[in-house]
Amino acid sequence: MTIQEQLARREFLKQLRTASLAALSCNATRALGNIQGTQQPAAKADSCILIWMAGGMAAPDTFDPKAYSPFKKGLAVDNILSTFPAIDTSVDNIKITAGLENVAQIMDRGTLIRSAVQPDLGSILHSRHQYHWHTGYVPPLTVAAPHIGAWMAKVLGPKNPVVPPFINIGQRLEGVGEKEELKAFTTAGFFGSEFGPMNLPFPQDAVRSVQPPRGMEPGRFGNRYRHYRKLIEQNPNRDLMSDFQQESMLRSMDAAHRLLQSKEKHAFDLTREPKDSFERYDTGRFGRGCLLARRLVEQGARFVEVTTEYIPFIHWDTHENGHSTVARVKKEIDRPIAQLILDLEARGLLDRTLVVIASEFSRDMMIEGVPGSTARDQSRAPSKTLEEPKHYGLHRHFTGGTSVAMFGGGTKKGYLYGKTADQRPLLAVENPVPVMDLHATIFAAMGISPQTAYEVEKRPFYATRDGHGKPVLDIFA
Amino acid sequence: MNTRDQLIAGGENGKSIIAGDSGRSLFLKRITTRNEFTRMPPEGSRVPPEKITVLKQWIEAGLPWEQGISLGNSSWEPPLKPRLITLPSPIKDRSHPIDRLLDTGLKIRRLPIPPPISDSVFLRRVSLDTIGLLPSPTDLQSFLNDPKEDKRVRIIDKLLAQDVAYADHWLTTWNDLLRNDYTGTGFITKGRNQITTWLYESLRTNKPYDLFVQQLISPTAESAGFIDGIKWRGEVNSSQTREIQFAQNVSQVFLGINMKCASCHDSFIDRWTLSEAYNLAAIYAEQPLELNRCDKPTGKIATPKWMFPEIGDIDPAAPKAERLKQLAVLMTHPDNGRFTRTVVNRIWHRLMGRGIVHPVDAMHTKPWNEDLLDYLAVRFAEDGYDLRKFMRFVMTSQAYQARTVIQQAEPTEGYVYTGPIAKRMTAEQFLDAIWQITGTQPLTPTAQVDRAERLAKPSHDPAQDTKLVKPVPVTAKWIWHDGRGSMKAELRKTFSLKETPHTAIVLATCDNAFTMKVNGKLVATSNDWQAPVRFNIASHLIKGENSIQVAGEMFGGSAGFICQLIINHPDTQRVINTDRTWQVRKADDAWQTALEVHAYGNGPWGRILDGKTVTPGSFDLTGPPVRAALMQNDFLMRSLGRPHRDQVVTTRPSALTTLQAIDLANDEILTNYLSDGAKRIVGQKRTRDELIDWCYVYALSREPTTGERTVLIEVLGDGKDPVAIEDLLWIIFMQPEFQIVR
Repeated sequence: MTIQEQLARREFLKQLRTASLAALSCNATRALGNIQGTQQPAAKADSCILIWMAGGMAAPDTFDPKAYSPFKKGLAVDNILSTFPAIDTSVDNIKITAGLENVAQIMDRGTLIRSAVQPDLGSILHSRHQYHWHTGYVPPLTVAAPHIGAWMAKVLGPKNPVVPPFINIGQRLEGVGEKEELKAFTTAGFFGSEFGPMNLPFPQDAVRSVQPPRGMEPGRFGNRYRHYRKLIEQNPNRDLMSDFQQESMLRSMDAAHRLLQSKEKHAFDLTREPKDSFERYDTGRFGRGCLLARRLVEQGARFVEVTTEYIPFIHWDTHENGHSTVARVKKEIDRPIAQLILDLEARGLLDRTLVVIASEFSRDMMIEGVPGSTARDQSRAPSKTLEEPKHYGLHRHFTGGTSVAMFGGGTKKGYLYGKTADQRPLLAVENPVPVMDLHATIFAAMGISPQTAYEVEKRPFYATRDGHGKPVLDIFA
Repeated sequence: MNTRDQLIAGGENGKSIIAGDSGRSLFLKRITTRNEFTRMPPEGSRVPPEKITVLKQWIEAGLPWEQGISLGNSSWEPPLKPRLITLPSPIKDRSHPIDRLLDTGLKIRRLPIPPPISDSVFLRRVSLDTIGLLPSPTDLQSFLNDPKEDKRVRIIDKLLAQDVAYADHWLTTWNDLLRNDYTGTGFITKGRNQITTWLYESLRTNKPYDLFVQQLISPTAESAGFIDGIKWRGEVNSSQTREIQFAQNVSQVFLGINMKCASCHDSFIDRWTLSEAYNLAAIYAEQPLELNRCDKPTGKIATPKWMFPEIGDIDPAAPKAERLKQLAVLMTHPDNGRFTRTVVNRIWHRLMGRGIVHPVDAMHTKPWNEDLLDYLAVRFAEDGYDLRKFMRFVMTSQAYQARTVIQQAEPTEGYVYTGPIAKRMTAEQFLDAIWQITGTQPLTPTAQVDRAERLAKPSHDPAQDTKLVKPVPVTAKWIWHDGRGSMKAELRKTFSLKETPHTAIVLATCDNAFTMKVNGKLVATSNDWQAPVRFNIASHLIKGENSIQVAGEMFGGSAGFICQLIINHPDTQRVINTDRTWQVRKADDAWQTALEVHAYGNGPWGRILDGKTVTPGSFDLTGPPVRAALMQNDFLMRSLGRPHRDQVVTTRPSALTTLQAIDLANDEILTNYLSDGAKRIVGQKRTRDELIDWCYVYALSREPTTGERTVLIEVLGDGKDPVAIEDLLWIIFMQPEFQIVR
């Protein structure tokens, strides 16, 4: 049935079925993709989980170990590449760093890219690089760019119509630094909010987003909605309600209440997870976020992002004390990430779920940006030699070589792609993958052509910049 | 490319066709290429081979073209000059010019004239459209009881005269348009200056639109935020430098011209070229501005120039301030019909639900009623660029006072006018309406605006406006007592005034907290020394002796209070600073001379009062209840479509989405408004039936039908349970009839 036919139906009360219609009928954007004859590739995955290492995950201290120097007072810092020793993984030619022992055991389930690169942008501002990473476009822009999750929601739609297709876990958008900058890309942009994220900053409270308001009994909540519907049936201006605007309002209200009264809403409720399983994930908010992501994907979520959370100078954003901070963050991420992959695998979901671990850029002991960059050095513990523990760590933002891990979703297993230099500067020396191509790769796995475009203000807006993203096909099995 | 000349001239890629040489003709290459980015037509099926042969022959033959033939109608170009039209004769007694113009169109299409609306529907519509508020049940009753025939005109006038409420409402539209009240990306380096105070005052005083725009283009410090755009940290794409933002924003907002395409390359969708975009940008540029094409330098330097030399030129040799002044004059020149058409179309869209040209930023598209648009534009200019007068003009037409039409789907390009279209409430209107009924609005606004009641008619003199809040360098001292024995200090100052002042702006902060009374009346409290307060205390000052009393408290560490009071009379200014002329006492001690702890700028506090966004006093008790547009964007408003304003926003989405509906079902902010409101309403001691009528009439401007009443009684029970009232409010607020201005 076409949208027009749907909308032509005047028996609006019987027609409250598909939520997405409301969006389609109101949206000014128009898909060029299929009109132009852009072939959508066959999808290798149906769901995507983006594990976002917010704040700049230093590759040499995580997935790309280099020569290790333990802390020693007086050591010249320009000799230091990695502050963690390398450890073996389940794949012969892949070593990662100490602190990621659980992740090391699952490296045979996915592909590790060590050659992701980002533009320098003249000044390193996390939220701006994160905007770029999440949308594929560098702000400022004349058009509000959609998040990659919104692209999936828009092009692919929900996998299960009851579960919002784009869910964002773990990032607060209020009460943290650069919050407005974070909001700028945590959005569906010109696609409109139907394709925007459902934000769940606190995984343990996630269930509240799909529950009656705090303090309201489910019985009362159900009654309230029934009365609302009864009141509409009694409205003397019923004819006005066949107006597209009013009709779409009713349809959206119905869709919302369907989720709020569905069995799928239990996916949001972590108290329903068996205790031993909950505990395996429970290293903190991030760990619980991974568990929530798994539960949501099991119920048919399309795109889920789980983040360690970006807060200026916290977690991966190590401007001083880098080593001890990263040691702590690794404790939070190691177990839950590995568990997530194993659980997806055990449930037979890994093959059709693409899990991506990424960050806006890497870090380096010495170099801000890339060699020759004009970016201002932002280390808060600059020192030529190690004098105190706060000097020890990768405190500069490095854009020349970053690691990205991908699991499932048709990626090769136990595969290594790209390479960075062994001596500083640790630039990607083999197969560099810019953000645009990384996106094309993720989109390709999800069955979205990087040339997919929508019209906004009579201009085409592409899934990857100008449609130029090239998927790294080599990483797919 | 609809004429032979246009076809030959081609675009930035050079000539499109070389007469007699099909092999070198880009035109032919594009329709035959396999390259999907350059192919023509860009989508759909290709030109069949036999037709390509014909085209080839035609090019070889030298492009024979019959004189005067133009292809298609997309070559429609809006006229620059205002166009006078002759009004058609009225049909029946419908003599209002708008009705005469619209009725003619309806008659030609044999469409019915939309029927009129009732007084109650009219009052709700006109109230939400002018001041963004619901009419109260009392207002509605007295309007319905008014037997006079001219009551609709009188209520329009009365509403438009509510200058504060009008400004509260229209601030939303202009903040969207001018990207004001922006806290977003790039702001981390304080790249955007807000113009809220200026904007609010301009709306409040109904500044003529030509002057309004002149002050935006050729600004004072208070209005400079708009043309300065957003300054970014780091490198930006050359199509987003501040100069290019200037070109894009000025042309989009004031002329409905989209320069976004042309700031990268010659536009594919309209006539604007890369040079035109850069020349416009060069008016604003401090340095010679090099053209960049798709972010690559071209070596060409732009000449400060604007797009319509027919009206006049910019002197490229003049300094920037002078060039901006020249542009301001050209933009608002009486011959610039595009300027007036753009704004009347925007207002029409807000009032009638759809632009006469739509989308409202695509002013190069043909209006669905050209005569109407041209008539309104000319009339607006003749009426002194008076926005409120223009709204009055539209609202007094029978077209505005007609029933909204039922749209099966969002209107598209082939739109035919059959009557006004209902509008979805903005997030701000929605919240304001809920606050009206529940009484749960915040106590103080975050926007720095002067909402105090004014006795004297405010001057339209722009110099007066700037005087209102012109910053004065701070020379006040940090004062306190000796710091021994008490964490608290009372501070006071008395002074005498010959007249009550026009404005009196307090700028103050205290490490760590203070409350301030003016002539015994509490005007401000603060407990964050890093967030100075700044507000107008004029209404609390009197002719004769005045006193300021401050109760300060330190929580530990340093202590100090600093205050600058700028008192403006029409011609004079006086500044009162904290210094040794103030007095101080510890609890129950005797008053003594205040101690100057530090000069401003010294001590641990730095230049905390300089150029910082300052919050208004927490108890500025002078204005009417706070409105949503004066508050910072929050989760609920964002969810309901209040934009982030990274871009200019001219139209907000009309549909409610599922995620928004989830928020309406369980969002905490909304839930709190409803439960707090329910408790207040219980306290108002109405009977069950009174309560139902009051809520319904307030929310929808009509009484419930018998069927509706049955449902409402079922929900409400005896009317004494706040929980039941909360549910009642929710089911009313969720009605599409409530959320739509119909």
